[in-house]
Amino acid sequence: MRITEHPILGASEERRTVTFTHDGAAYTGFEGEPIAAALKAAGIVIHRYTKKYHSPRGVFCAIGRCTDCVMVVNGQPNVRTCVTPLAEGMTVDTQHGAGGEDRQ
Amino acid sequence: MTRYDLIVVGAGPSGLSAAAEAAANGLKVAVFDENARPGGQLFKQIHKFFGSKEHKAKLRGYDIGTELLKEAQEQGVEVYLNAVVAGLYADKEIVVRLGEKVAHFKGDTVIIATGASENMLTFEGWTLPGVMGAGAAQTMMNINRVKPGERVLMLGSGNVGLVVGFQLLQAGCELVALVDAAPRVGGYGVHAAKVARTGVPFYLSHTIVKAEGTDRVTGVTIGEVDSKWQVIPGSEKRFDVDTICIAVGLSSSTQLLKMAGCELAERAAGAGYLPVCSDVGETSISGLYAAGDVSGIEEASSAMLEGRIAGISAAGKLGFAAQEAVTARLATLTTALEALHEGMFAPKNRGKSVDKTEEGYDVSTNLLKKGYLADEEITKYPGVKSVSGIHPVIECTQNIPCNPCQDSCPKKCITVGGNIVTLPVFDEKAGCIGCGQCIAACSGQAIFLVNEDIGDGLAAVTIPSEFLPLPEKGERGAALDRAGNVIGTAEVTDVKSVKSFDHTNLVTFTVPKELGMRARFWRKGAAI
Repeated sequence: MRITEHPILGASEERRTVTFTHDGAAYTGFEGEPIAAALKAAGIVIHRYTKKYHSPRGVFCAIGRCTDCVMVVNGQPNVRTCVTPLAEGMTVDTQHGAGGEDRQ
Repeated sequence: MTRYDLIVVGAGPSGLSAAAEAAANGLKVAVFDENARPGGQLFKQIHKFFGSKEHKAKLRGYDIGTELLKEAQEQGVEVYLNAVVAGLYADKEIVVRLGEKVAHFKGDTVIIATGASENMLTFEGWTLPGVMGAGAAQTMMNINRVKPGERVLMLGSGNVGLVVGFQLLQAGCELVALVDAAPRVGGYGVHAAKVARTGVPFYLSHTIVKAEGTDRVTGVTIGEVDSKWQVIPGSEKRFDVDTICIAVGLSSSTQLLKMAGCELAERAAGAGYLPVCSDVGETSISGLYAAGDVSGIEEASSAMLEGRIAGISAAGKLGFAAQEAVTARLATLTTALEALHEGMFAPKNRGKSVDKTEEGYDVSTNLLKKGYLADEEITKYPGVKSVSGIHPVIECTQNIPCNPCQDSCPKKCITVGGNIVTLPVFDEKAGCIGCGQCIAACSGQAIFLVNEDIGDGLAAVTIPSEFLPLPEKGERGAALDRAGNVIGTAEVTDVKSVKSFDHTNLVTFTVPKELGMRARFWRKGAAI
C-alpha cells in the first residue's frame, strides 16, 4: 500500500523505521507518520468497534476531525490515530466501545 | 495574557495570506492552528492551480504552500501549532489549548480562517472501514504516501471528486467509476476529461445504494436516480471495491464565529449559515474578520486573496497602513479576486445550468454527462483548428478563470485576453514551433500538440503525462480516445521531461492519420 514512486511527488524520502505492536502483533512503520498511515500500510483497517452495536470503524476524515479512527495507544483510549505520530515501541490496540471502563 | 495586533485562527491558505499581509504592514501577528503542520489542505494539493500569474496559476498547491510559509516567516509571523482555539469571546479574546494547557490571548483584530470540513452522505454500509472522505484519501496518498485502497469508487463529480479521482490514478489505485447523483458533472470539464480519457466510466444521475462488507468494504452497488432522486429499481450496478470516496461538498467551519455572536445568514436556501461580511470580510463585529472557506466555499486561490484583503484591512483599521495605501492595495486584490469570480463556475452561477459560453459556444452536453468531448464537437471551439503542420489543440471549452497558456507561447499562438475566463483562441498564422510549453502550462491538461499528417499515413500527437511508468521511446502501446476507448496502436517517438514543465511530461506518439484528432491518451500494453 506504500507509494514509493510518485509521478509528481517523486521517490519517498528516507525515514526511520520503528517497530510497534497492534493487538499484540509486531509491525513496522515510519517514525513520525500518523499511526493510521502505518496501520493502513500494514493492511489494518479496523480501528475500533462502537459501544452499542459493536460495528467496525476505520479512517474516515484523516485530519483529526471526525474521531472515527480512535484507538487505545500506549494504554490511553480515544487517541486520534490519523493525527498522532508513530513512535518506537508504541502499543496500538483496537478500541472497544468508549475505551475506558467499558472495555471488553 | 499575551496581546497581538492581529490573531489569525487557521494556518491554511487564507490564514497564512492574511497573516503575511498584515505583518508586512508592521502588525504583530500570531496564527493558531490545531494541526502539527501549517498549510491547511494546501500541501496535499499536488495539481497545478488555475487563474493567472497573480493567482500563482500553474504552480502546484504544495509549492504555493511552501512560498506562503516562507513569506509568513520572513514577515515575522508567529505560528502556534497543535494549538486548538476553543473559544472566541467578547473583546476578541481567544482561549487556546496548547498541549495539556489552556492559555488566553487577546487580539486587537481577529481573522477567522478556519476553512471547512467535508460533507458526508449516508447509505447502507456508510460507516464501514473503507468509506472515507475524498479529502481523507488525498491526505493518505499525498501526505502520508499510503494508498487509501486498491480499487476505489468516487462519489461526487465536483472539482474535489474529479481532482482526487485523478490523483488516485496517479498514486497507482484503480478508479472503477466516478458517480454523481446530479445529471451533470459539477466540476471543471477539463478535470473530468483527464479522468475520462484514462478509461474511467462516469455515472451521472447515479448514487450509491449500499456498501457491502461485514468488517470492511468489499463492494458497492450504485443505481440510477429519477427526477426525485429515488433509485430506479433494476438500474443497479455492482463493483468490487475496497474503498469508497465521498466528495459531496464542504461545509464552512463557522463555530468560532457563531460563538463570538457574529451575524450569520443563509445566502441561498439550504446553503448553510455563513457569516454576513463586508466587502473586506469584516463580520458584524468590528475588527473581527472571516476569510477563506469559512466565509463561503471557494477555491484556495480565492481564499488566499480573501485572506490578504482581510489582512490589509486590519492593518488599515489599526492605523498601521495609511488609508491611501490600503485603498490602493485593496483595489489590486479585489480586481484579482473578481477575476476568479467570473465565468460559468462563479459563485453567482452556483446551481444554475449554463448552456452557452460567454462567447456563445454551446457547452458540450457530452462533457457534462460523460466527462469528455465528442470527436465531432471538438472543432467547434476556438482553440481547435485543423491545419497542416504541428499545432496546438486546445480542448478548453468552458469559461474557467485561467490563462497560463497565453503567457506560455513564445510565438503568441494562443490568446485568452484580459478577461481570463474567455476561451483560448488559437491563431494558426502565428506559426507554432511545437515547443510544448503550452501543454505543460495548462493546469487542466487540455492542450495537445498534433501534426495531423507526418507522412506514411501517420499523425503525431503530443500529450501531457503525469503517470508512472513513463513510456520509452519506441515503445508501442494503446491509443485511447477522449472517452478512454482503445482506438489503435500508438508508437512513442519522444518523451520530454524538463524541470520547467514541473512533472508534466510530454509524450509524443504516432498513430494512423485518421486517429490524430482522436487519440488523447497512451496506455502501456497491447491495443486490445
